[in-house]
Formats: sequence, structure tokens, C-alpha cells
Amino acid sequence: MLKLLKNLISYRELILALAWKNIAVRYKQAYMGLAWAVMKPLMLMLIFTLVKSFIGIDSGDIPYPVLVFAALMPWIFFQESASEGVGSVVANTALIKKIYFPREIFPLVAMATKLLELGISFIILAGLMVWYGMIPSASILWIPVIIAYTMLAALTISLFGAAVNVYYRDMATALPVVLSLLMYASPVIYPLTLVKQKLLVEQAAGDWSDKLYTLYMLNPLAGIIDAFQGALFRAESPDVNTLLPGMIAILILLPFSYLYFKRAEAYFADVI
Amino acid sequence: MSMIEVKNLTKEYQLGALTNIKDNALNLLKRMLGKPIEDRERFKALDSVSFNIEKGEVVGIIGSNGAGKSTLLKHLARITTPTSGSVCVNGTVAPLIEVGAGFVPDLTGRENIYLNGSIMGLSRKEIDKKIDDIIEFSELEEFIDTPIKRYSSGMSVRLGFAVATSINADILIVDEVLAVGDVAFQRKCIGRMENLINEQGRTVLIVGHNIRQLERICSRMILLNHGQIELDGSPGEVSKLFLDETTLAQSGDIQKIRGEIKSSIDTNDIEVLGVELISEKRNDGTPVCPLFSDLHLKVTLNAPNPIHNIEINIGLHNPEMVFMTKSSTSLLNRPIDLVSGNNIIDMVIDQVSLCPGTYGIGMGIYDWARRPLWTGNRLVWLVVEATSELAPKLPQGTLAYMPAHWSISDGNNKISYTKQSTSIT
Repeated sequence: MLKLLKNLISYRELILALAWKNIAVRYKQAYMGLAWAVMKPLMLMLIFTLVKSFIGIDSGDIPYPVLVFAALMPWIFFQESASEGVGSVVANTALIKKIYFPREIFPLVAMATKLLELGISFIILAGLMVWYGMIPSASILWIPVIIAYTMLAALTISLFGAAVNVYYRDMATALPVVLSLLMYASPVIYPLTLVKQKLLVEQAAGDWSDKLYTLYMLNPLAGIIDAFQGALFRAESPDVNTLLPGMIAILILLPFSYLYFKRAEAYFADVI
Repeated sequence: MSMIEVKNLTKEYQLGALTNIKDNALNLLKRMLGKPIEDRERFKALDSVSFNIEKGEVVGIIGSNGAGKSTLLKHLARITTPTSGSVCVNGTVAPLIEVGAGFVPDLTGRENIYLNGSIMGLSRKEIDKKIDDIIEFSELEEFIDTPIKRYSSGMSVRLGFAVATSINADILIVDEVLAVGDVAFQRKCIGRMENLINEQGRTVLIVGHNIRQLERICSRMILLNHGQIELDGSPGEVSKLFLDETTLAQSGDIQKIRGEIKSSIDTNDIEVLGVELISEKRNDGTPVCPLFSDLHLKVTLNAPNPIHNIEINIGLHNPEMVFMTKSSTSLLNRPIDLVSGNNIIDMVIDQVSLCPGTYGIGMGIYDWARRPLWTGNRLVWLVVEATSELAPKLPQGTLAYMPAHWSISDGNNKISYTKQSTSIT
């Protein structure tokens, strides 16, 4: 894992160059350019707000559109980093067969690209917060930490997935489907307080409620989205208890995912 | 310490279709239960190859298709890993395996230089320093801010070569890139390679099919055959062995269809009954002609009807189909007529002074208006051989030895006079 960090530093120029390439290629001949990057969260926000007006989701004293946009930002960053990361090795077959550099660069590049799009979303978020007259507190300093943690969560999936995808292309096709289901198991449309309310307070699932809650929180995104919203709107530092199950999951899975990737890496050029 | 140390390098590939999940899962299950699994057929692309390369050496790697050349380079460039054995590279490597790998069609030439440079391990600052030189070398000043997708194929290859050769790596690995662009640019490329080699003392590995070009650049050559090193030595030796092998394989094919001489153009006005060399024969029947001795050729033609005023050209070509010499009846200044029935043509080439090696005979017969009636190459193969006494004295790196006269003096008195002897036997 230390090597991953070392490579990250010594190949930072290459990562930046490749990420810049991805962005340049995607938006170069597009009239709207980078505006497309924020289309997805904006559209989903509008749809969810519309849905909310039918079914009624309690968002507390935070306006629902802002809350859902703040949930969509880390979610979309995670989802797209993971799914692009998984496809990234196969997408760069030409380079893999011709030149060597550590292959984990490809998932990292996919993530760096998404990081820029996340940055642009922050502009929209700031606009929304001004519109609703919300003033952020000093706890927004936690945001970079939360994003870094989201990156680890995305890498856990993309490293393992990218290596598997070299052997079985099913991976890149299946992952977006699985991830879009996972969105409903994450507090995106509804806030985490609602889940806590149902399972911990009301014990809606009877004896299973507490176990179900832990299972729900094993999804690192549950903790991430809640912490993200908390740091932005509720002047809260991240709550360790909420984050813990997800962190343990990542701590166990990420080294495994990385080692699997490095072991498979040697045969990428032969198999791809 | 050697720059490159390769020890018992073996690389196997599995033959057959891609595996599916079901088979893999079954195999895993069988392995866990300790049952034997069906092994797919394996193909050894490289078979215990060992060699060392020292700093400053320029090594050419040759061999026929599928001999393992590119696989070997891939190991040196760390693109793939050995099945067994080891590859140790002490220094940075710049792989020029197919120039322009990683060019992005949507980006401009300039953007691609930056991108490709960083893929090859250059920092932005280094590229800033080199970019003018790269643009100038590629001769693309006008087009450098145009997307690569609008480039002609030659243009992007030129750009790729310019970027690739501007990298300060200790070891350059080159795969068939010298054959880029038009003749003028090729010459420029070779010049640049020679500059990298001679002045900057880089260690270079080149794979290629243009044997003569490699012979010129390399200080050492390795001949691969079915994944094994067949010969590792001086460029002259190695390329000669390789060319001989390929022609013998070809002439083997010809012997199979003996009696039927292959023509490339045949108007049926003339039937070629035989092309024969009056010379010694090797054990396998290949005709041999000692260097600087005369070559006697006998051609039998059958013409159904008499043909007047024809021209016959006969020449010797090397295995790469370059004619080394041609001789024509039009130089005789008198018309040649064929009678109906058999015609026998005897022809002697004086003092065959071609470099030792294998040559083929080609013949063309033309009518009075120089329209071809019959042409064909590779009619017979012969081997030009130098005697063991002469061979070590022959200079290397040439295609032919034209007889020459020498006189060495101090300007006033003739001190010595020698004539290149052509009668050593």
C-alpha cells in the first residue's frame, strides 16, 4: 500500500496529464463543455425534488433540494469513479500493450477526472446555499477529508473490478447496474436520520432492526453522505460511530483489492 | 554490471479459445479436490533465452515472423512477465514499440507531444525544453495546433518518432520504427538513431526486418528462431546466416516444384524448358559459385513459332529481390532471333564479385517493342562462396566487390603496386 502512495507521488505528472486528456477529449468538441459535468446531479436533484413533493420525505429544517444535491455529490463521485475505474484498464489496451508504468494509474486517473467534475459541482452547491441563505460553518474543513475517504471507497471497488474486468468483461457491464441499485440503499433520496428513526427508534424491523442498521451502515457511502451533509449544513464533525462499520469494511477490503490488482497486473498485456 | 541481463527467459502462452467462467470455476473446484485438470496446449514464445548487453552496445534482434522478437522486447520493456527465468534491466527504458502508441486523435499535435512525453516519463518542464526541437524534427510546424485526427498517417508517425527519440533514457527499445515516412525522413530517422548511438552512447535494442539497415547500425546481432537464440555475434555473420536460411527455405520450395519453372508474365510465345547453372553443386544440390570465378548459365527455350528481334535480360538478385547485376542482349547491338523449336542460350558472367551469400537468377524476354514475352525471378538459386583463404580478408558491409587496381606511391617514385587478385583459388 505504501508503494501505491509512492507511485502516486512519482507519477503525479502522468496522472495529471492523462486526467487532463480524458477531460479534454470528453469536452473538446462539445459546445456546452464542462457544463455537462453538473448536468447529472442537477437533473437528479430536480427529479428527486419532484418525487418528494408526491411522497413526502422529511428533510428536517434543511431545504430538500440542497440536502439531496449534497448527497448526490459524493454519491455520483463515488459511483462514476468506481465504474470508470473498473473500465479504465481495458479502455487503455493500446497503452497497456505498448508501454509500462504502474497500472493502478488508470483507476487513479479515472478518479482524478471525476474529482474535477466534483469540484465543479461545488460551484452549483455554493449557488444553492446562497439561494437558500445558508451559511457554512468551520466544519466544512472536514470536506476534503471526507472526499479523500470516498476516494478510498471508490478505489476498493475499482482496483479489484478493473483487474477482474481484464479477464471477464462482465464486470464493467454489471457494476453500473449494481451501483445504481446501491444508490437506493444509501441515504441519497432520503436522509440518514430517517433510517435511524425507523430502525433505531421505532425498531421497525423488530428484533432484526439493530442488525439491519449495522448492515446498512457497512455501506461506506451511508456514513460518507451523512458526514458530508453534516459538515456542510449542521456544523458537525464526522461521527465516528456512524462511519465505523464502513471504515472497517474498507480497511479489510482495500488491501485485498490492491494486492489482487498488483498480482493480476503482470498478465494484463497477455490477457487483455 | 551489464545494462541488461536475461537469464533462461521462457515465456509460454496458452493456445486455444478464451476461457469462460464456467471452465475456470470447474478447474478451480478440481484443483481444490486434488483432481488433475485439463491443461490446454502451451506455446513457447521464448525458450530459455540468455544474454547480457553492456552499456553502449547496439543490438539488432532478427528472426522470421513468430520467432519471439517482439515478445523479447516486451519483457525488456516490462510490459509482460516471464513464465520462468529472469530479466534484469539496470537503467531507464524508453520503449519505441510502435511509435505513436497513446496518441489521442482529438488532441492537437502540441497537446499530444505533452501527453506522449509524460507517458514516456518526461516531466512538463523537460518537455517545455524539448518541444521546439521535437516540432522542428517532425517538420510539422504548420500543423502542430491541428488535431491529430486530421493528420496523414505519415505525419503522425513522424511526430511519434520525434517524441520517442527525444527521451533521455539509458536504453532505447525500438521495434520496426525505422520504416517510417518517406525516404528523406527515413534517412533523417537513421541519422538521429546514429546520433543517439554514437554521440550519446545509448544502449539500443532494435527489432526489424530490414536486415541491411540493421547490419549498418548495429554492433551486434541476435538471431532468434522459434524462441531460441540461434546465433549471437557480429552483424555480418548473423545476417548472413539468417538470409541463407530464409533463401534455403525458399529454394527448398522451388526444388519441390522442379521441372516447372515459375513465370510472372507468360504470353505463351515462348516456353522455358530449363535454366541451368554449369557449376559445382553442394551436397543438397544447390549450385555453388566461388567468389571471383566465372558463372556459366545455360537456358533452353522452346518457341512454337520463330520470333525475331527479341531482347533477353538475365540478372542476379539477392533474397530481398534487389537485382545486384543485370545483363542484356540489347548491349550486343545485333538482333537476336529465336527459331521455331529449341533454342539454347549460353551466357557467362565474368568474375562474379558479389558478396558471399545466396542469389537467385531472374530472366526477362521482351519482343522488338520491349513488350514482355516471358519474365520470372527466383528461377534457380546459387550460393557465392569465398574460399577459406579469401574470406577473412574481405571487407564487411558491402554488397559487391568490383575488381580494383591499386597503386601506392609518394608522388614521385612508385613504391609498390598491387592488383586486387581475382585469381586466388
